[in-house]
Amino acid sequence: MSGDTGTVPTGLAVHCSGITKYYGVGEAQVQALRGIDLDVRTGELLMLVGPSGCGKTTLISVIAGILDQDEGSCLLFGHDIKQFSKGELVSYRGSNIGFVFQSFNLIPTLTAAENVAIPLLINGMKMAPALLEARKRLSEVSLEDREDSLPTQLSGGQQQRVAIARALVHNPKLVVCDEPTSALDGETGHKVMEILKKLAVGSERALIIVTHDSRIYEFADRIAHMEDGRIVSVDAAK
Amino acid sequence: MFQVALKMLFGDRGKYFGIITGIALASLLMIQQPGILISIFSRTYSFITDVALPDIWVMDPMVKFVDDSQPMLDTELYRVRGVQGVEWAVPLYKGSQRVRLSDGQLVSSNLLGLDDATLIGGPAVMIKGRLADLRLPDAVIVDEAGATGRLAKPTTVPGGKPTPLQVGDILEINDKRALVVGIARAGATFQSQPIIYTTYTRATSYALAERKLLSYILVKTKADLPLSEVARRITHDTGMAARSADEFKTMTFKYILNNTSILTNFGFVVIVGFIVGAAVTGQIFYNFTLDNLRYFAVFKAMGATDKMLRRMILLQALLVGFVGFGLGAGATALFAAVTRGGSGLSMTLDWQLLVGSGIAVAIIVLFAALISVRKVLRLEPAVVFK
Repeated sequence: MSGDTGTVPTGLAVHCSGITKYYGVGEAQVQALRGIDLDVRTGELLMLVGPSGCGKTTLISVIAGILDQDEGSCLLFGHDIKQFSKGELVSYRGSNIGFVFQSFNLIPTLTAAENVAIPLLINGMKMAPALLEARKRLSEVSLEDREDSLPTQLSGGQQQRVAIARALVHNPKLVVCDEPTSALDGETGHKVMEILKKLAVGSERALIIVTHDSRIYEFADRIAHMEDGRIVSVDAAK
Repeated sequence: MFQVALKMLFGDRGKYFGIITGIALASLLMIQQPGILISIFSRTYSFITDVALPDIWVMDPMVKFVDDSQPMLDTELYRVRGVQGVEWAVPLYKGSQRVRLSDGQLVSSNLLGLDDATLIGGPAVMIKGRLADLRLPDAVIVDEAGATGRLAKPTTVPGGKPTPLQVGDILEINDKRALVVGIARAGATFQSQPIIYTTYTRATSYALAERKLLSYILVKTKADLPLSEVARRITHDTGMAARSADEFKTMTFKYILNNTSILTNFGFVVIVGFIVGAAVTGQIFYNFTLDNLRYFAVFKAMGATDKMLRRMILLQALLVGFVGFGLGAGATALFAAVTRGGSGLSMTLDWQLLVGSGIAVAIIVLFAALISVRKVLRLEPAVVFK
């Protein structure tokens, strides 16, 4: 990889410095991020909270390497992803980052096990061993009896658990979640967070969750409050 | 990821069947219409093909195609026989005569008069009777399509079906008696008229009184002389046109091609088939990709490379192309099998046609894949969070 810096303190998963992002051009230009500085440590669950349009999703997109920032740098485990070539970035993302989405984004024509196997298939594993690994992950989220079910045959909570298994199946170093509980009722959301906290947070891994859902704040190690493209405060969870 | 691509394709059954139906219909049009066209064109010279034995056809220089025989004097036959390099030469009468059926109906038919001695030019396949029976008094042989079709015996029962001609039935050609002694198989002709075979002498007696009745002279060349040289000598010595069977077929084919709008009409349908196939298939396949755009973005976010996504879409496109083409080609082959041998609509299905339409289908699906790949590759993976 060409983005090694070697200047990041040990235990730092994400180190963002002066991240700025603009959308549009000319008079229609909007500044979505205004010089964000943020660190996320390994073993930590950080929540990004704030009103709609404050830049939370833009920030995790930049951190996850699926959106280019206009200014500033973002180091992931010591790698400046801006310095990666397109191929290196895609490969790094495939190996090191897991995603959980608000609307689950499970492929409707694939079974739960096949959906979970996708990151492994993308990383070049054959279908049979990938399915074996996927089934193990499904059992960790207590869905061993639903591995052959299609997403439409699963409840919202079950679908999100499949999505969590998919995000973790390739042992990524960073897991980013966008509103993982907003489509779920309170009790189910709580269960999903328990699973996420138990499985996704580890000494070598960090978890960033974007959320509006104040009911799950209790699971965070720290909460970063955003407003108008800036982080206004970072608090340790109560 | 190829298995994932296929599951995505098969999972959306409505679009999958829509795409393969579009390709199947386009394939059917692109194979069937040229197939029918080839069949029609081959009919223009089927008579020359059926009369397989002679090397050279001698005719009046004014003849433009095989059905345009310009009668010659019988004495021309003897002049041709005298040309160096001619092994043998026999007369052939070919003309349209009207046959009266038992209910008084007149049917225009192709009357062929074969050399009395050798019967060269006769049908290769006899279904009933023998070719030699043409030597019986008033004998004629009728082709199968004519016997079961336009020359079939009219029914006396209103709404009933006509009875096919049988050996022993009597026809009336230009007020003269004709006894059916055989039923033969002949290549369908361009004009789809019944074919009646008889001897040259009898044919000229059936024909209306004309001074010139010799349509063609069929010539076999000697083995030691090139065909082109003998043809040149015949033309030089007699003033008649002498053409090989292939030259005569080409001349007939070109005449029909240049003097009818068949090629334009069929070509138009083929082009419409290609355009509609491309438009329908491209649109449905593109819609299929659009419907799955979110999932392609998920794959991109998860680390799928452009190459991987390109291959997935290409696989989906090639698969629908392969299945759709298979169905279209299969349906066309079925059509060809059902219509084979009849005097009506039929088609020729050859490998060149299949390869050509296969290439056209490949172009259609690659075009569909191209516009879909373009959309997916331009997709920002960040849309997964929207």
